[in-house]
Amino acid sequence: MNYNIPAYIIYAAITIYIIYWVGRLFHKNGRVFILRIFLGHAAQADATNNIILTAYYLFNTGYAIVQFSNWQAVQNLQMLIASIAGKTGILVGILAVTHYFNMLLVYILSKRVLHYSS
Amino acid sequence: MKDFIVIAYLVYLPVVILLTFYVAHSLFRNSLVYMKDIFNGRDEIAVATNTLFRIGFYLLNLGFGLYILEITGHLETPQAAIEALSVKIGGFSIYLGIMLFLNMYLFFRGKKIAKQRRISAPFITETNLPRT
Repeated sequence: MNYNIPAYIIYAAITIYIIYWVGRLFHKNGRVFILRIFLGHAAQADATNNIILTAYYLFNTGYAIVQFSNWQAVQNLQMLIASIAGKTGILVGILAVTHYFNMLLVYILSKRVLHYSS
Repeated sequence: MKDFIVIAYLVYLPVVILLTFYVAHSLFRNSLVYMKDIFNGRDEIAVATNTLFRIGFYLLNLGFGLYILEITGHLETPQAAIEALSVKIGGFSIYLGIMLFLNMYLFFRGKKIAKQRRISAPFITETNLPRT
């Protein structure tokens, strides 16, 4: 009995839900910062925001799907839980690191823009 | 032979998730005050920054908690299961405490910088506002 296919299905459901939820929250809360960088030009800021969201979805779903290719053989229930948790943990960890990096980037960019525009 | 690993996982997962949610809830409900102070009363940007820090906290800690879930070896008695769980949950809890203090350090640092900027603000009149 091989549990690989159930593992893929559970993993895909969890991952896609996390990616969608996190992306929507970032899209909603990051708008203020992009608006600030674009000095209040709402149309440009919204367009940039939407493009960034699309790129984010593409990258992350791509990474999640690539994980199927090097999955270990899952023989029992404990390996099912452990492998799903391990892979999800790595994905969420990458999201966290990217997120902190992006916050730093927004901070630096906004400082630069405000410095030059004054 | 009875194996307790699946039971241990099923205990570990809710504990980790609930602990993270509780800590994040109590930290970021209180940090909104600091954020409003740092951003000088611009509420929209203060709330957005607070939410972004909260998401980062969730992602980092849930990711780490899931990543360290795997228990190698066999757990044949309830005693072994409880001992393995104690290492995992205790370690995760200590890690969460360190992360909490790290976040608080960031808030206090932001507060200090904002205060310095406010002291020197009269000399740089009207630079921090974006032109529309």
